[in-house]
Order: sequence, then structure tokens, then C-alpha cells
Amino acid sequence: MRDRHQSARPQGFRRHLAVGALAAAGLLAAASNAQAQAEPAPLASAGPAANDPLEGFNRASFKLGMGLDRALLAPITHGYMAVTPRVVRDRVSLVIYNMGEPNTVMNQVLQGKPRQAVRSSTRFVVNSTVGVAGLFDVAAKMGLPPRGADFGQTFGRWGAGPGAYIYVPLMGPLNVRDGVGRALDIVTDPVSLFVGGLDTDFGRARTAITVVDLRATTDSAYEALKDASDPYVTTRSAYAQYREAFVREATGESEALPDFDAPPSEPNTSSATPNP
Amino acid sequence: MTLPGNSMRNTSITRRGASVAALAFFGAALSAASPALAQSGARDPAAEAFVQTKAQRVISVLASKSMSEAQKKQVFHQAVDELADVPRITNFVLGKYARTITPEQRARFTPVFRTYAENVYQSRISDYRGEQLKVTGSVVRKPGDVIVNTVVAGGQLSQPVPVSWRVLNSGGAWKVVDVQFKGIWLAITQQQDFVSTIDNAGGNIDVLINQLQKGGSGRR
Repeated sequence: MRDRHQSARPQGFRRHLAVGALAAAGLLAAASNAQAQAEPAPLASAGPAANDPLEGFNRASFKLGMGLDRALLAPITHGYMAVTPRVVRDRVSLVIYNMGEPNTVMNQVLQGKPRQAVRSSTRFVVNSTVGVAGLFDVAAKMGLPPRGADFGQTFGRWGAGPGAYIYVPLMGPLNVRDGVGRALDIVTDPVSLFVGGLDTDFGRARTAITVVDLRATTDSAYEALKDASDPYVTTRSAYAQYREAFVREATGESEALPDFDAPPSEPNTSSATPNP
Repeated sequence: MTLPGNSMRNTSITRRGASVAALAFFGAALSAASPALAQSGARDPAAEAFVQTKAQRVISVLASKSMSEAQKKQVFHQAVDELADVPRITNFVLGKYARTITPEQRARFTPVFRTYAENVYQSRISDYRGEQLKVTGSVVRKPGDVIVNTVVAGGQLSQPVPVSWRVLNSGGAWKVVDVQFKGIWLAITQQQDFVSTIDNAGGNIDVLINQLQKGGSGRR
């Protein structure tokens, strides 16, 4: 799957970087795996309890992030949404998704899913050629629907729990597992390594478009946050559920849901709560 | 992968029923041994039929081009009662505070929450503008507690969107208590939002009620 881009010359340094990063990732996963086994079933008790030891810091980050979004990213995104029709934006999303497909393949291999990896590789070849650089998802119409994968999911598949929640301004909600995963997704991304990373115009344009595309596709979620009475907690809860669902796609585990009728008998967060 | 649990629900205990039960038992033992199989619980056709009819109705109302907005609001209100167990959800979203809320506060919270939720979800579901709902399967968590999986398509959706519905059966009637979209359960998220708001108000439920009356944190 590497030699698809014949034009690109792999650079030795970057390759070493990627290999090093991968090794580090393996260690991390092994460590958190051991940790996960030491603390059994973090989710089993009262539904998805939040693991947020840095809540004070995270709330400040969240405030800053939302402020930056209002001042910077939202206006750009809304301008983009105003001047492009939906069909065009859908094409852009598909091109961006297609460039992430090699990373998906890599992770499906690491997850021990060769059949999925072959399907994603086929998607990448078909959509990059017949689908004109990913503008059209021809493969989906051939019965190969998209199926995402990333390093956060791979660590989850290897047994790593999410770890503590972190909010990073302009990067959004993360947890330890998915933050490390995101960093690895970036440094090992085959398209950046073989076509061009942030030191090229291609890489910079791709990054900028990826950010705006992501913001545009999640715009309704940002809108929905305005209805929340605690937007910080709503974001944290939604993100945790979204990522756990994504990891379950790889593990095939079924979801632990709270009993609907019995309210939790003890406070589900540790913060001292005076009862009226 | 489909376990024959469906037939178990409706038939009385016959020899066939007994062997089905045995199969189901071994199936359960097997799925406990292998997490990959744990997902394949039995399907529940009654729960599926309920969601197919009632959830489709809600979606049709909101996608309707012939009704006025005022009409839609009214019909949506009725359709929600047929689809969802509103009292149960109202209790659930209070989390641990469902045990400490005073009757007076509950009497205030109930209509405020209803109006808030209807406004929020009417506009949110309308945003997606799907037209057809199709049940794709279901998983029985335990008898009377079923996840029904659907896809919503058509309208302005460029591709079908998977949506799951948690339905509970009480007294023979099915009702939806939670809806999942992109892995996110709405009632669970709502509960964490509300409980945190009350926590941060030092346990004062009135603060939440007043905030909901204003319509959330961002729209004043």
C-alpha cells in the first residue's frame, strides 16, 4: 500500500520519526493496557462517569477555545458555508476523507483487520482515480462504504482506556488516549510523509481545509451547544460517548448503559454537593 | 448470528420453546466467552414495529411541506407523547437529584423541561430533514429493554444517517426513553448537563429551572 504514490520519495528522516513514534505508541498502549487491567471496569457503575481531574484548567481552556472559535474559526467557517453550496462542501469533505484513507488502512492493519484494510485500500485506489482525487465516492456505490479508523481507536482496540479528559483550544475535546492517537495520526500520516507535510503548500492548504471542513461539518453541534445549560459538560459527555462508540466499532463490544429508572444512589461525581 | 429468542416471547412453553431456551442459554454462555459475539442479542419485532411507526410519524411531521409551523408544533407535541415516555425521561435527566427534588420543584420543572426539550429537538430534527426511517435491527438488552437500530434517509440528507432508539416496555406498551446519534445518547447527555448545572449551583434545582425557562446558556 506504500507504493501507490510512485512520484513521492520517502524521506529517511521522516520514516525514522514515524517508526519511533509507532514504537512509543506501542509502549503507551501496553502501559495503559496494564493500567486498565489494574482498575477493572471504569464504565460499569453509573453510566459514563467523567474522568476529568483537570476540570478547572479544562473549563478555562474551553472558555478560551470557544472565544477563539467565535472570533476566528466560526466567521471563516460561516463565510465558507455562505459562499459554497452544500454539494460543493460535500465534495470537499470527500476529498479530505480520501486523503485520510491511507492512515485508516494503516490502523486497520494494526488492529488486525486485514479484510477491512483491503477494502479501505481499494476505496483509496478507486476514489483517487475513477473518483477524481476523491471528489466522488465511487467505491461506496460499489458496495465499499467508508469505515474510519485512527490511532485512538487502535489503542482502544488494544485495550487502552480513554484516560483523563483534556480540552485543547482550537483542537477541541480530547482524552489522553485520543490525544496521543491524534499526534500519531499527524506524524505518521502517509499522505503527509509521501506527498507533502506542513512544509509544503499542499500540506498547509490541506491542513487549513481540513480544519474548516471539520468545523463546517460539526456546525450543528456548535449550534446545539447553545441550548445546553452547561456547555462544557455537554461537550465532554458527547465527546466521550462519541469516541467510545467509535472504539466499540473496532472491538465489537456492546455498550454498558445505565439503568433507566433507578437514579444513581450516590453522587456520580466526587465533587462535594450540598443537598438542599 | 440471530438467536431464536423472538419466538420465545410469544409462544407458551412447549418442547420447542424449551429447546429454544436451551439454545439461548448456550448462546448466552458462548457470547459471554467471546466479546465479539456479545453484541448479537435477540431481535424484538414488536419493539421494531413500534419504532418504525411512531418514530416515522415524528419525522414525517417535521419533514412535512404542507403543514404550517404552528400546525407542526401542535402535531409534534402529540406525536412525542405517542413515541416517548416523557415522565420517565423527565425523571431520568435529573439524575441523582430525582431523589431530592421537592414536589413543588417537580411541578415547576416538568412543564419547563417539556417545552425546552420540544423546542430544542424540533429544531434539531428539522435541521436534518430526513424523510424515511427504516428499522435495520434491534438488540434485546433484557426483556422489555431494547435498542432498535434505524437509518434515516431521503430529504436533504446526502447519505443515510444511523439512529438508535432505546425502547422500554411497561405494562405492555412500548415507549422510547433515549435516542442515539453518532454514538451520543441524548438523554444521558442531557442528564450530565443538568446534574452538573445543579452541582455548580450548590445543589439548587431552581437555578436549572430558571435557566431552562430562558432557553439554555447561549440564547438569552
